[in-house]
Amino acid sequence: MPGKFIKSMSLLILLLIMSSTGYSQEIDILLKGGHVIDPANHIDAVMDVAISDGRIAKVAPDISVTGAGRVLDVKGMYVVPGLIDIHTHVFVGPNQGFANGFSCVSPDDITFKSGITTVVDAGTSGWGNFQLFKSQVIDRSQTRILAFLNIAAFGMTGFPSEENITEMDPRMTSLMISQYPKEIVGVKIGHYTGTDWTPFDRAIEAAALANVPLIVECHLPMYPLEEILCKLRPGDIYTHSFTTAVDRECILDDQLNLKPCVIQAKNKGIRFDVGHGGGMFHFNVAIPAFKQGLLPDSFGSDLHRSSMNAAMKNMLETMSKFLNIGMELQDVIYRATWNAAQSIGRDDLGNLTVGAEADIAVLSMRTGKFGFTDTRGNRLDGDRRLEAELTIRAGRIVFDNNGIAAKNWLENQALYKFKK
Amino acid sequence: MRKIKDFKRHILAVLISLPVLLLSAIASQAQDIDILLKGGHVIDPANNIDSKMDVAIKDGKILKVATSISPEQARKVIDVKGMYVVPGLIDLHVHAFHGTEPGSYIADGWDALPPDGFTFRAGVTTVVDAGSAGWRNFRKFKEQTIDRSRTRILAFLNIVGTGMYGRFEEQDVNDMNPVMTAYMINRLFPDIIVGVKSAHYWGPDFTQVDKAVEAGKLAGVPVMVDLGEHHPPLPIEELFMKHLRPGDIWTHTYANAPKDREVPVDENGRVKPFIFEAQKRGIIFDVGHGGGAFHWKQAIPAVQQGFIADVISSDLHIGSMNGGMKDMANLLSKFLNMGLPLQDVIRRATQKPAQVIGKPELGNLSPGSEADVAVFSMREGDFGFLDVRGTKMKGTRKLEAELTLRAGRIVWDLNGIGSVMWDAVTSQAR
Repeated sequence: MPGKFIKSMSLLILLLIMSSTGYSQEIDILLKGGHVIDPANHIDAVMDVAISDGRIAKVAPDISVTGAGRVLDVKGMYVVPGLIDIHTHVFVGPNQGFANGFSCVSPDDITFKSGITTVVDAGTSGWGNFQLFKSQVIDRSQTRILAFLNIAAFGMTGFPSEENITEMDPRMTSLMISQYPKEIVGVKIGHYTGTDWTPFDRAIEAAALANVPLIVECHLPMYPLEEILCKLRPGDIYTHSFTTAVDRECILDDQLNLKPCVIQAKNKGIRFDVGHGGGMFHFNVAIPAFKQGLLPDSFGSDLHRSSMNAAMKNMLETMSKFLNIGMELQDVIYRATWNAAQSIGRDDLGNLTVGAEADIAVLSMRTGKFGFTDTRGNRLDGDRRLEAELTIRAGRIVFDNNGIAAKNWLENQALYKFKK
Repeated sequence: MRKIKDFKRHILAVLISLPVLLLSAIASQAQDIDILLKGGHVIDPANNIDSKMDVAIKDGKILKVATSISPEQARKVIDVKGMYVVPGLIDLHVHAFHGTEPGSYIADGWDALPPDGFTFRAGVTTVVDAGSAGWRNFRKFKEQTIDRSRTRILAFLNIVGTGMYGRFEEQDVNDMNPVMTAYMINRLFPDIIVGVKSAHYWGPDFTQVDKAVEAGKLAGVPVMVDLGEHHPPLPIEELFMKHLRPGDIWTHTYANAPKDREVPVDENGRVKPFIFEAQKRGIIFDVGHGGGAFHWKQAIPAVQQGFIADVISSDLHIGSMNGGMKDMANLLSKFLNMGLPLQDVIRRATQKPAQVIGKPELGNLSPGSEADVAVFSMREGDFGFLDVRGTKMKGTRKLEAELTLRAGRIVWDLNGIGSVMWDAVTSQAR
C-alpha cells in the first residue's frame, strides 16, 4: 500500500512538474539582445523578441529567459520584420519565358537567405492562369507569395499573345481577385507596345473594380511618362523607377533633374518601387534622384532568372546599395517592411506587432570594402553590406547562416551516445 | 599646282596615318587577351600550381597561366590580388530535373532545382545530376533544364527507367533495364551522361546495385550508389569489396542513420578498418551532403582518422538548399575548418570529380581548356557551420565566391571587381 501510495504521489508530482514546465514554456523562441527596428511600432532600440505558436508574443527589453524553449543570442545584430519584396517573377514551370516558365525563379531558392519572408509576384499570371500558379507554386512554397494579377489574361506569355486586347478583361480580372483576396493584392500592366491606351485604361478599371492598387511595369514604350503618371491614382505603384532603359521614359531630364510630372506624382501619392531586375537599375538615375528627394517606397528586386546572378543578386543587396548611397538604416528597413506592406494594403505584414505572424529577419551589418553594381555593370563602392543571419517564417527557423540557433556538435553527444 | 598640292596632301596623309596604322596594329595585338586575372593566388591541382600567377583568357578558353602576364595585351584586366583563382568547381551530386509533373518528387518535380541559382554564386560551373532522370525521361530533362541552363549540366542516369519519380516507383526491379540504360548513354548522350545511379532501394539485397553495375559495364561508365534504406542494413563491406568496381562511387559518405544504412564510423567514433581498404581498392567516396546526409558525428572523427571523402558535393535539392548545406562554397569551408589544406579542398571539388566522371578536360586551368574559373576570397571571422541535425561546428574561415567565369564569360561578380565606377562613365546614353 505505502509503495503504491508513494508511486502514485510521485506520479502526481511528476505530472505537476511536467505541466508546470509546459506552462512555463510560453515562449518557443526568444531572440535576445538584438537591436530591434520595427518602424510600424516606432521601435528602434535594443530589445528582446519572444515568439510563441508562430506569432509575436512580446517585444520588450530584458524578457526573462526562464520559460523560453530556445534562447538565441542575437547581440550586435538587427532584428527586423521579415522583408517584403513586392516585385518578383516566381510563376515557375516547364514553358519557356515567364508565365509557367523557366525565366521565373522559385522564391525559396533566394528569399530566406536574404531575410525575405514575403514576395509579391508582379503579374506573371493573369486571370486565365492564376489558379495554376497558385496550385503549382504558391501552395508549395514556404515563402509567402502574394500576387499582382496581369491585365493580360494569361500573364507574361510574351509577344504578341500578351498584347491581345480582347483578352484584357477588367471584369474577369476583378472577379479572380475577389476569389483570392488573401493572395492577390493588385493589378499589373507590363507589356504593351502600341499607342492605344485601352490596355492601360482596362488595367485601371480592373483595379478600381477590385479596389486594389495598380502596378505599372516597364515596356510601355509609346506611353509618355507624364500621361502614365497623370492616369495613376494615389496608391498606385510605378516600378523600374531608376532606369535609363530605352523602352521607357526616364524620370530625370537631360540635366539630371527630376521631371516636374514625377515630383507631382510623388506629391499626389504615387508610390515608386525599385524593380531592379536585370536591366532596370542605374546609379546615374538612382543617385541623382535620391539627392533630389525621390526615395523608393519599396525595394522590389524584379527577381527572375537573368537578374539573380547579375547586379541584382537579391533584395537585401539592393537595400545595401541604398544604404551606401546615403539612406539611413532605419529608413531602409522601413521601406523594405512596413512601407512595402502599405503599398500592397497589407497591415498584417511588415511589422513585429504582438499577435502578428512571426516573420522575422535577423541581419548583421558587415563592414569592409565592398562594390555594388548596377545593371549596366557600373560600380559604386561602399563600406557596409547587410547580411541575413537568421530568418524566421511563421515562427519557424527557415535559414540560419552561422548556426546561431544550433548547439555545438560536441555538446549534443548525449543524443548520439558518442564516445570520443 | 593643284596636283602638287594634292600630292603634298597625300604625302601628309600617309605620314600622319602611318603611326596611326602602326598604333592600331599594336592595339589589335593588344587585344590578345579578353580577360586577364591579375595578381591572384592560383590553385590548379591538375597542373600542380599553387602560387601567385596571372590567368589569361581568350575566346572563352584559358590562354595562359604564368607569372606577370603583361596587362597591355589585355582588353580587360581584373585585379584579384589577395584572392584565390581556381578552376570552376564541379558539384558531383545535385538534383536539377526541376519540373511540375504532378505526383513526382525529383524527376520533373518540385524537389529538384534549376542549378543556376546556386552554382555561380558559389564558384560552381559544372554540376552532375545524380540520377534524377532515367532512360524514360532523360530527354525531357535535357530539353527542359540542361539545354536552358548556363551551368554545365552532366548526369548520372538512374537505373530505374522513370528516375526519381517516387520512392515507391524506384523499387520496381522490372523497370531497371541495364541494356536500355547503356544504350541511352552510349548511343544517344555519351557527352552528357557520365554514369549510372542506383538509389533509394528497399529490397533485401544488392539487386539494384548489381543492375546498375551491369549497365555501367555495358556503357563503360562508373556507378554512383545511394544505398537507400534496408532493415536490417546491408553490409557495406560486401558492397565495396564484391559488388562495386574500382572507380564506382558511394555517396552520402558522412550520413548517420545506422538503423537504415551501415555507417563508416562506428558508435565508438572509430572508422571501420574495411573503409580504408575500400578506398585503397578505388571506391570513390562522395560527400552528397543534402538535407539528411551529413553529420558532424561521422565527418569529424572520420577526417581526424584520415578517412576523407574523395569528392565534396552538395546533393542540392529543396530540402538541402536553406539548411546546413547552403552551397558548395559553404561545404568547402566546412572541410577547411575541419583541418584540410585549402589546396586539398579545391582538388576534391575540381580535378578529382573530373577524373571520377572521366572528364579530364574539366576541373583544371590548362591552356586550351574552356575558361571555367572561380575566384574566391577567404573571409576571416567567427563562423558556425551546421550539419543536417542542426548542430554546429565553429570555424574561423569561410570561402566567398568573388567572381565566376563560365566559358570565359563573367557570370557572377560579388563586388563588381570586373566593373568600372558608375561616375567614371559619363558619356553613356541615359
